[in-house]
Amino acid sequence: MNVLGMQTLFVKEVRRFMRVPGQTVLSPLISTTLYFIVFGYSISGRVHEVEGQPYLHFIVPGLVFLGIANNAFLNSSSSLFITKIQGTVVDLLVAPLGPGELMAGFIGGAMVRGLVVGGLTWAVAALFSGFSLEHALVTAYFLFISSYVFSVLGMLAAIWAEKFEQINFFPTFVMLPLTFLGGVFYSVRELPSPWNTISLFNPMVYMVEGLRYGMLGSSIFSPVVGGAILAVVAAVATGVVYVVLRSGYRMKA
Amino acid sequence: MSEPPSPALELQGLSKRYGNFTALQSVDLSIRPGEIFALLGPNGAGKTTLIGSVCGLVRKTAGTIRVFGRDLDADPVGPRYELGLVPQEINFDPFFTVAESLRIQQGYYGRPRDDARVDEVLTALNLQGKKDSLTRALSGGMKRRLLIAKALVHKPRLVFLDEPTAGVDVELRRDLWTYVRKLASEGTTIVLTTHYLEEAEELADRVGIINEGRLLMVEDKAALLRRFGEKRLVVTFATPLPALPEAGQRFAARLSDDGRTLTYVERDGCAPAGDLLRALYAAGLPIADVETRRSRLEDVLIEVLRGRPSASAA
Ligand SMILES: Nc1ncnc2c1ncn2[C@@H]1O[C@H](COP(=O)(O)OP(=O)(O)OP(=O)(O)O)[C@@H](O)[C@H]1O
Ligand SMILES: [Mg+2]
Repeated sequence: MNVLGMQTLFVKEVRRFMRVPGQTVLSPLISTTLYFIVFGYSISGRVHEVEGQPYLHFIVPGLVFLGIANNAFLNSSSSLFITKIQGTVVDLLVAPLGPGELMAGFIGGAMVRGLVVGGLTWAVAALFSGFSLEHALVTAYFLFISSYVFSVLGMLAAIWAEKFEQINFFPTFVMLPLTFLGGVFYSVRELPSPWNTISLFNPMVYMVEGLRYGMLGSSIFSPVVGGAILAVVAAVATGVVYVVLRSGYRMKA
Repeated sequence: MSEPPSPALELQGLSKRYGNFTALQSVDLSIRPGEIFALLGPNGAGKTTLIGSVCGLVRKTAGTIRVFGRDLDADPVGPRYELGLVPQEINFDPFFTVAESLRIQQGYYGRPRDDARVDEVLTALNLQGKKDSLTRALSGGMKRRLLIAKALVHKPRLVFLDEPTAGVDVELRRDLWTYVRKLASEGTTIVLTTHYLEEAEELADRVGIINEGRLLMVEDKAALLRRFGEKRLVVTFATPLPALPEAGQRFAARLSDDGRTLTYVERDGCAPAGDLLRALYAAGLPIADVETRRSRLEDVLIEVLRGRPSASAA
């Protein structure tokens, strides 16, 4: 295994997003504040509690999740996609970096970005609604697995995409609907049938609910079940990206 | 007992199809360690595809590729520690400086940071002054130099230079030739493509000619030039001649339609051009100008591509 190669790619990925601190730091500050103003204050006037939590507390885990998901996905997808557009993917393909090393580098970098933004979002949210952490390990697990899954999916999108429109396909047509159906701003249990059942097939629901359990102390699913489901999702996604990368699909001529 | 060293690169039946289009057709090739091999052929011949198949950029359709004796199908990653590629297309990552790009490249190849090596390569490619510039601030030729530096910084044993001097100035071209020769003398194997045949003539130990995905011939450069070697004598007359003079007939020379120029091609085994010239002077013809030209790799390439690989058999 090419440990140094992997490490080099990882550090490069981290440095890349550190060079645009506006996107990394400023955007979560702005978007979280907006979410609180728009959703938090407008709705909390009418909706006081959801699942036994004050509404302003209830939405925090979901907002942290959104920060992680969007940024992890954005980082790995855009970074890998840009190498294809710039032609610098040649450097990666010629070098002794196998699928495992490439994944470690890109996913590692994207996870750091997702977690940094998630952390900042949490910090900003705490200013509005106070800080709450009930189960640190559970929270850590769901932060980790959420950022991991979206980093892997970002790679998959970048491998598949050949044009700029295509790289926006996932975030717009897959991620956005699923995140809004993921119970960030409401409890999926309160959805009318059949949507409450359909929601059970949306992995993001388990991410949000897992974080909710960890941060606020209760959720509509057992974190063990959600955690197990997500572990399977992560394993499958990892396997798919590994096999696709090894095949050279859309990366090699 | 010492085994003969395995070839730096060995291709057997290498084929590549893009859909119905055949870009490489069953190419067999063996490159010796330490040699400079020039792969020549017109646009679209398959040179970049061949190089890409070895370097992990192209998925071959059939055949085997061995790098220093190791089959890439059995181990697609390990042999790549030994490879360096200067791609035909310029690419650069605008986020990083010249020196950073080289350090990243060292890391990809599993080499610990080595600033002395970075400086050495930068100096060799005359980029020392741009060390801390962002890559996007380099001129086109400098970007190509950086590509070359990136391909060499990890001391690969087998280097592919896909048109390394396209767009670089004369001075760098000369410097690069010197550097390539130095690398080869230190044991690095070099495979080079170029459309500047002067470059191949200058550098190559052996030459391969490829067209439409087929490797038409592989030969020692010196032998090739000798075999195809011909001298061309062109004599211009001050006043047009009505017909081919007797001396010209004896040597089977040709007179142009306007009667002003006479051309003689001297091949292996023909009478020397000098004899003809002496005969023309002796006949008192109104000679205005005399020009001789030795055939070069360029002429050889054109002949082979026209389908005359056996011009030598004569
Ligand atoms: N990705 C691809 N898809 C389809 N056809 C391709 C692809 N890459 C190359 N080809 C075709 O394969 C043939 C060989 O291309 P290649 O780039 O190897 O030529 P080359 O010898 O390097 O030419 P040049 O001197 O112009 O660089 C060309 O006809 C080209 O159009
Ligand atoms: Mg080419």
